[in-house]
Amino acid sequence: MLPIKEILDADVVIAGGGIGGLMAAVAAARAGASTVVLEKAHTKRSGSGAGGNDHFACYIPEVHGDLATAREAILGSLVGGDQDRDVLDASLMRSREVVDMWHSWGINMKPRGDWLFEGHAFPGRPRAFLKYDGSNQKKVLTAQALRAGAVIVNHSPVLELLPVPGGMGGVLALDTSEEKPSFRIVRAKAVILATGNPCRLFVSANTPGLMFNIGVCPACTGESIAQFWRVGGALVGMDRGYRHAGPRYSSRCGKATWLGVYRYPDGSPIGPFTTVPSRETSDITGDIWNSSFSDLMVNGTGPAIMDCGGASEDDLKHMLWAMGCEGLTGFLAQMKQEGVDPGRHGVVFGQYEPHGIRGIEINPETGTNLPGVYAVGDHVGNFRTNIGGAAVFGLISGEQAASYAAGASPCQDVENSPWARERMAYYSTFAGRSSGATWQECNHAIQQILTDFAAPGPHKVRSASLLKSGLKFIGDMRRRVDAELCTPTAHELMRASETLAIMDMGEIMIRCALERKESRGNMQRSDYPFTNPMLNGQFIRIVNGENGPEISWRPIHR
Amino acid sequence: MPPVISPDKCLRCGLCADICPLEVFGCRPAKNEMPTVRYPDECWHCNVCALDCPAGAITLRHPISHMILHVDSPFLKNSGQGGPHAAD
Ligand SMILES: Cc1cc2nc3c(=O)[nH]c(=O)nc-3n(C[C@H](O)[C@H](O)[C@H](O)COP(=O)(O)OP(=O)(O)OC[C@H]3O[C@@H](n4cnc5c(N)ncnc54)[C@H](O)[C@@H]3O)c2cc1C
Ligand code: SF4
Ligand code: SF4
Repeated sequence: MLPIKEILDADVVIAGGGIGGLMAAVAAARAGASTVVLEKAHTKRSGSGAGGNDHFACYIPEVHGDLATAREAILGSLVGGDQDRDVLDASLMRSREVVDMWHSWGINMKPRGDWLFEGHAFPGRPRAFLKYDGSNQKKVLTAQALRAGAVIVNHSPVLELLPVPGGMGGVLALDTSEEKPSFRIVRAKAVILATGNPCRLFVSANTPGLMFNIGVCPACTGESIAQFWRVGGALVGMDRGYRHAGPRYSSRCGKATWLGVYRYPDGSPIGPFTTVPSRETSDITGDIWNSSFSDLMVNGTGPAIMDCGGASEDDLKHMLWAMGCEGLTGFLAQMKQEGVDPGRHGVVFGQYEPHGIRGIEINPETGTNLPGVYAVGDHVGNFRTNIGGAAVFGLISGEQAASYAAGASPCQDVENSPWARERMAYYSTFAGRSSGATWQECNHAIQQILTDFAAPGPHKVRSASLLKSGLKFIGDMRRRVDAELCTPTAHELMRASETLAIMDMGEIMIRCALERKESRGNMQRSDYPFTNPMLNGQFIRIVNGENGPEISWRPIHR
Repeated sequence: MPPVISPDKCLRCGLCADICPLEVFGCRPAKNEMPTVRYPDECWHCNVCALDCPAGAITLRHPISHMILHVDSPFLKNSGQGGPHAAD
């Protein structure tokens, strides 16, 4: 068995020090809870917000008037309409407070002097994405969490949740600060899950074989979703899968910062929304006809080109500045090295592999079906506004978890629970082998199976025959992984844990896709080629019950 | 090899290894040692190591597989402002 390097005690433990996790840490610590953040990498520069972001979904009353204006603008954008309205509203109601907080801490929410709403918008319609400069956001949030009194442990990815009867006892984590792996236990009364957007489930669409060339942070594989599921947590929308788009072949999210027009190679616009570059709206065709980038390749009229030609000098300067705020400094350097000038060149855009399959079900206070467990950020299943939502619900979850912990009793020896011992033995087996399968083999294997047998569209179908075959092959691969996986270093054990989470999520995805006996959006069933109106406005919910997975439908809260 | 460290400039402070979101440099190196790129395939090309390096010792090399596909602006081409390749 690998050694336990350290046991820490806390009221609240937070898995993941990204945007949501750090805001949770500030709020929990300010509310008086002893708070520990466990972060896989380093909170100053980890996650999808590592280098910055530049659009913050929010409701600013003096700009929007009533809440419905901001809400409708968000629901019409890339984050889409399938979310619980009560949860969305709860986040928007406190978004102004968080925007003011960030600004007072030194994250510039008014880099142009006043409120500026840009991108992800229809011409002439209200906008809900505040332009800001997030380039220093992770450093500022880290400093605020420390100032509030939270303890941050970097290089310590969470491996499992450790429940106790009637509540939570803490988490099991890995220590990767040294070459040799060891465990870290945090005993805590409440847990906040914040490990970000699930990715690396499908073969990279830009560079098959290169798993880390993807739009979002490849260290975020939705581990909390799998860990929460293993101990009975409820998930929603897990059959879905969103396919973002962006530059080909250098994968990076942030497409709304590009102010050009999506065009066919002959110069005609792909969509009807804009014919000239616009920094106010960007071309929302990319949000609402999301499959266009693939459709044009399949029908031979492509490739789709992001064309900023014709933009004014001033607008181009603005875009390049915004790309810096957005964390695209690597991409900017690459354009320079490769002689790409967005004022003169059109950049080919393509759809990326699916990511962000939905995840943990939360209520408007970020609570889950498990007492003492809260979840925020990109791995939430029934709500999403990216950075804005992660930040606001981070704050709310910290307050809620601190108040829950104040009334809960501590767990003395959660490290000796049968579940903790079982899981420590499980991970130790991989670390103890001297030869065998690498985590890369396993990650490629699950990506291949999911891409062939369960991928959402466009231009992909699912069917009972394919999905059931996929489930069987995951079972076959799981037996081999358990028998052969070998992780000599802490780093490799960390990547293996991500891969195991991906396998669990792939299996859950297939089970939910089997339940959807209809075609809807990018989820096309060849054996049920129609949309069933009875299923309009419904989420598939899945829980790992005592007798195996329990699947049900529930209405999306309107 | 995505991040390239200049041995002449590197101060051996270990910061890049500490803050890389993908832990491409593995664990923090021993004192006075230069970090090595342990896991180049795991680089996300996010550039934060280069941004934060106090000595400006890191440059990112973008692999050929990641090249940015680009063409002359179709709009400029159509409006006769297409630059050197406009007639292609
Ligand atoms: C280039 C780019 C541009 C973007 N632009 C925008 C934008 O302008 N507007 C917008 O709204 N959104 C944008 N996004 C998305 C935005 O960054 C995310 O929505 C946001 O960061 C989500 O916050 P989060 O807390 O859920 O996850 P993250 O901020 O990604 O944080 C997750 C954290 O969990 C850590 N972690 C993962 N697994 C574990 C584990 N097992 N144990 C411990 N820690 C773990 C990770 O290292 C990471 O620090 C962009 C994303 C990218 C990549
Ligand atoms: S951050 Fe720069 S100076 Fe410090 S170890 Fe890395 S390369 Fe060297
Ligand atoms: S570019 Fe980003 S992922 Fe690559 S080594 Fe530097 S910090 Fe790490």
